[in-house]
Amino acid sequence: MKNTIKQVFHSPKFVIGFVIFAALLLTTIIYPIVVATDPLEMVGNGNFFKPGTYVSVKDAVEGTKYTLNIDVQSASLGSKISAEDKEAMKEWLVKFGGVAEADIDVEDAEGLIGLWEANYSESAEQKGLTASKKKYYIRLNKNIDGILLNNDVIVAQENSETGELEQSASIGSQEFVNTKDVANRRTFILGTDNFGRDVLTELVHATKTSLRVGLIAGVIATLIGLFLGLISGYVGGVVDDLIMFITNMFTVIPSFVLLILISYSVGQNARGVNLVGMIIGITSWTWTTRSVRSQVISLRNRDHVNLSKLSGHSMMRIVLTDILPYLASYVVMAFILQISSGILAEAQLSMLGLGPSTSNAATLGLMMNWATLYAAPLNGSWWAYFPVVITIALIAFSLNLMNTGLDQVFNPQLRD
Amino acid sequence: MKTRSKKLVALFATVAMTASLLAGCGGGGAATTEPSDTQATTDDAAATDDAAATDDAAATDDAEATDDTAAAGDTNSTPRNETLYFAGQQWGTINDWNPFSTNSNNPMCVQQKDSSRTLIYETMFMFNMLDGKLYPLLGSEWTWDDDAMTGMTVKLNPDAHWSDGTPLTANDVAYTWDANVKYDSSLGMDFQNYVESITAVDDTTVSIKSKLDDAGNPTNPLKVQQLLQQMYVMQKAYLEKVEERTGGDKEAMKLDKMDDLVASGPYLPFFDDDQKVVFIRDENYWGQAASMWGKLPAPKYIAHVIYADNNAGQIAMEAGDVDVAQQFTTDVQKLWEEKGLPITTYIDEPPYGECATMPSCWMNVEKPGLDQVEVRKAIAMATDFDQIIASAMSNQSPTFAQVPRSTMNPTAGEQALYDHDAVKDLQFVGKDIEGAKALLDEAGIVDSDGDGIREYNGTPLSFKAECPDGWTDWMASLEIVASSAKEIGIDIQTFFPDTNTFYDDITTGNFEICMNSPSGSSISNPWGRCMQFLSSQYADLEVNWSGNWSQYRNDEADEILAKIPLETDEATLKEYYTRLNEIYLTDVPSFALMYRPELFYIVNESVWTGYPMKDDGTNIPPTDCTDGYGIAALYNLTLVE
Repeated sequence: MKNTIKQVFHSPKFVIGFVIFAALLLTTIIYPIVVATDPLEMVGNGNFFKPGTYVSVKDAVEGTKYTLNIDVQSASLGSKISAEDKEAMKEWLVKFGGVAEADIDVEDAEGLIGLWEANYSESAEQKGLTASKKKYYIRLNKNIDGILLNNDVIVAQENSETGELEQSASIGSQEFVNTKDVANRRTFILGTDNFGRDVLTELVHATKTSLRVGLIAGVIATLIGLFLGLISGYVGGVVDDLIMFITNMFTVIPSFVLLILISYSVGQNARGVNLVGMIIGITSWTWTTRSVRSQVISLRNRDHVNLSKLSGHSMMRIVLTDILPYLASYVVMAFILQISSGILAEAQLSMLGLGPSTSNAATLGLMMNWATLYAAPLNGSWWAYFPVVITIALIAFSLNLMNTGLDQVFNPQLRD
Repeated sequence: MKTRSKKLVALFATVAMTASLLAGCGGGGAATTEPSDTQATTDDAAATDDAAATDDAAATDDAEATDDTAAAGDTNSTPRNETLYFAGQQWGTINDWNPFSTNSNNPMCVQQKDSSRTLIYETMFMFNMLDGKLYPLLGSEWTWDDDAMTGMTVKLNPDAHWSDGTPLTANDVAYTWDANVKYDSSLGMDFQNYVESITAVDDTTVSIKSKLDDAGNPTNPLKVQQLLQQMYVMQKAYLEKVEERTGGDKEAMKLDKMDDLVASGPYLPFFDDDQKVVFIRDENYWGQAASMWGKLPAPKYIAHVIYADNNAGQIAMEAGDVDVAQQFTTDVQKLWEEKGLPITTYIDEPPYGECATMPSCWMNVEKPGLDQVEVRKAIAMATDFDQIIASAMSNQSPTFAQVPRSTMNPTAGEQALYDHDAVKDLQFVGKDIEGAKALLDEAGIVDSDGDGIREYNGTPLSFKAECPDGWTDWMASLEIVASSAKEIGIDIQTFFPDTNTFYDDITTGNFEICMNSPSGSSISNPWGRCMQFLSSQYADLEVNWSGNWSQYRNDEADEILAKIPLETDEATLKEYYTRLNEIYLTDVPSFALMYRPELFYIVNESVWTGYPMKDDGTNIPPTDCTDGYGIAALYNLTLVE
C-alpha cells in the first residue's frame, strides 16, 4: 500500500493534478476562516462593480490630508477628456460654434477647453446632429465644466436647525489621502456580480459547494456502479441479464435528460445541495457498472478465485478479498472521473435554473447562470463569469490529470 | 504508406476547412452588404414571385412590384436605409393576423391595449401616455351626448379608407363591435359590460351607448372612453368574407389566420417566416391626407428579426442592425458611456425611460399565513427595494424615496391625484429588518421550534414565490425578496416556471406569492389600476386575468371604486384616491417592487434619427414608434446625414 502511494506520487501528471486540486480544496477551507463575510450578502448597490478597492468618500474627505506636489491637472484632464473627445469638440466648434478650423489646436488641451467654454451652448441650433450625439456633448460639457479652474471643492453640511448649508471643509487639488487611513474600505479582488455580491467570496463558497456536490455524486454513482457491476459480473446468468438490461436501458436514455426531468419534478423547495448531488449520482452510474462487470468477468475464472471457491469461501468473501483488490485502482480512477463529471453536471443544471436555489447557496453553475442572464459577457464584466469558468476548468483538469497519472501507474500497458 | 495516407488526409482536411471558412466569410460579407442606393435587383424576381404573391396582397398590383418581390426573396435585402429594424417585440413565428384570436403570436401587428399598436390595424383614437389624452386617428373628435355620460358620439375622419381603396365608414365600426361581441373576443367579453351598443348614424358619425345600471347611470364611462383607444376598426366586407368561410362559428372565427387582411393602417404585411417579419408601407395610406399626418411614415419597411433571446437582440443592436429595441438591458448607460455607440434612451440619466407601471409582489390572502396582514407587511418591510432597483432593475426605475409607493404610477398627472402627506406614515422604506421582526413578534408569530423559521398556527411560514422563467429582472427581484425574508424568519423559495404555467397558476389562484404588473397608462387609469389592486370584483372571477390576484376583499374599497368612474369633481376624486391608498398601504395585499416602463425604448442612431426624446417639444411618448400616439414618431424620422 505504502509502496503504491509512493509510486503514484512519482507520476508527474498525478502530482500536478493533485497539487492543483489540493490548492483549490485548501482555499475553500482556509479562505472562509480568514474572510468571514456571508457570500450571499448583497454588498454593492448595483450591477457588476469593477474589481478594486473601494474607500469611503466621507472618510476620505474627513481624514488626514497630505499635500503632494504632483501635476494633478494633466492627469485629470487626461482621464476626463480623451483624444476622441478633443476631435469631437473640434468638430462641434467648427460646425456649430462658428470657430475657424485653423484657430483650433487639438494638441493644446487648455486652449481647446477655453474655446469650448466660450462657444459651446446646449441650446444652440445643432442641425443634423443625432440625439445621442447631442447628449454626448452635454455630458462632455458637464465633465469638463470648471476643469481648468483650480478651485477648491467646498464640502458643506446642512445645519439641522436653520436648514442652511455651512462649510465644513475645503479640499484643494493638491491634497491627497493615504488609503490606509481610510477606516471604511473594502477590496473586491474580483468585483461584484449582478446582485452586488463579492465575486471572490462567492466563488470560494461555490467551489466548496461544487466539490461537495461532486463528491456526493461520485460516491453514490461509484457505489451503485460497483455493487451492480460486481454482482452482475460475478454471479452471471439471469442476474447478469437482468442487471445489464436495466443498465442498457439507462445508458440509452441520455442521463442529462433524465437529470433534468428528475430535478424538475423534485421542485425547487426540496432542491438543496445534497439532493442535487444525489440526483446526479443516481443518473450517472451506468458506465461504472459496465466496466466493472467486464473486469470481474475476466477475473472470476482466475486460479486464485477458483481456489477460493474450492476452499468453500462465501461469495461475499471472494468478491471482497479476491476480486475487489484487483479492481481497486480502476475504481479509484472511475471515482475521480465521476466527481469531475458530477461537478460539471451541477454547473449545467444550475445554468438551466434547476440546481440549488440562489438565495440558499452559491454554486458555480448559478454564478454562470446569473452572469449570462445579466449579459455580463456583453457589457465587459469579465470578472463575473471568467473566474468561474477557470475554476470549473481547473477542477475538471486536475481530476482528469490525477486520473491519467493513476492510469500510467496501474495500467501495465502504459507503464514506462 | 501509413504516413503518406495521413498526409493525404491532412491535406484534404486543410483544403476542406479553408474552403468552408471562405464560404462562411463570403456568406457573411454578402449578408452585411448595405444596399444604399441600389434598389434590390430584379435578377431573382422570377424565383421569388410566388413568395410575394402569397405574402403580400397589396404590393403586387403596384408599380414597384418587381422591386418588392426581389426584396422579399432574400430576407436580408430590404434596403437598410428604408427599413426600420426592431428587437424585443416579436418572439417566434407569426401564427395569425387575427384580432379576435385568443392564441395569437403576432404582437408586431395585433396588440389591442391601452396604447394599441396601430401599424396595420387602427383604432379610432391614439392614447398619449405623456399627457393622458386621446389623439385623433380614424376618429376626428368625440363628445358625450349628455352630462350623465349615457352615450357618446364619435366623428370619423372622412378621408379614412381601407387598403383596398374603399372608404372606411361608421358601418365598419358598428360591425366590428358587433363581431367582437358575437364571437366572444376578449375585448368584446370585457367591454360588453360597459358598452350597450355601437351604431352608425351616418357614414362618418358613430353613436356609442353606455350600458346603464338599474338607476339609469352608466356602469362605467371610463371604460367607454377606453374602447376608443383599444378597439381595432375592421372592414365590414372583410369580416363578412371571413364569416362566410368560417360559417360563423365562434371557434373557427378565432382560429382564422386572416392573412388576406384588409386594414387601414400605414403598413401591410410583406414577408414573414421563423427568422424575420417585414411590413411594407402602404403607398396609398389614407393618413397622408392633410387632415391626418399630411405625409407617409418615413421608413418604407418595418422589420423585426426574430432573435433567440435578449442577448442576441443586444448584440444586433450594438452592431447597428437594430434601430429600436424593446429590451431590458443591464447597465444600458455603458453602451454610450463606455462603448461610445450612437445609442440613446428617452432620458440620458437614470431611470432612462418613462416608467408607467409597477411590477408588484402579490400575496395570495387565501393561503394560511399570508392571510395575516402582519406577515404580508413584514415581508414588504424587510424587502430591500433599493437593491432591487439598483441591481435587478439596473437603476432603470425611480427609487421609492423619489416616488413613494402608492397605486399611482410615477407620472406627474397620476401622482397629483392623491394626498402624499396623508399616507406618509403608512409608507415602509424597505430593508427594515428590525421593524419587521418586531411586528411579527408583537403579533405572536414567532419561531417556537428553533429552526429559524417562524410558525403561524403551528405551520412554518414557508412560501413559493413565482414569476416566468427568463424574465430576468423579475427573477432577480424575487431572489432579493427571498433573501430579505430569510432574515426575518420567513422562508420564501423562488420558482420560475414557463410563462404558460405561470399564467395558469396566477389566473386560477394556485400560487402563494407571485410577481406581476398592473396596467400602465390608460385613459381609465388610475381607476383601472386601483381596481386591479383592491377590487373584490376580480377576486370573485373563476379565471382571473384582470387583476387583484391577491384575492383581497374590502367592502369600503369596493364602494369607493364604484363611485370613482361617475365622479368628476377633482377634490372628491382626490379624497377617494387617498382613502384607497390608505387601505392599500395598511392591508398590503400586494406591494410594488420597482417602477418600470411599459416598453423599454433604446434607439440606435446609426441609420435613423429624429426619435422622440424627453423635453424635445414633440410630446410624442417613448412607446417604440409603434404604440398609441408614439406612432407619430415614424413621421418625424430622418436618415442620419
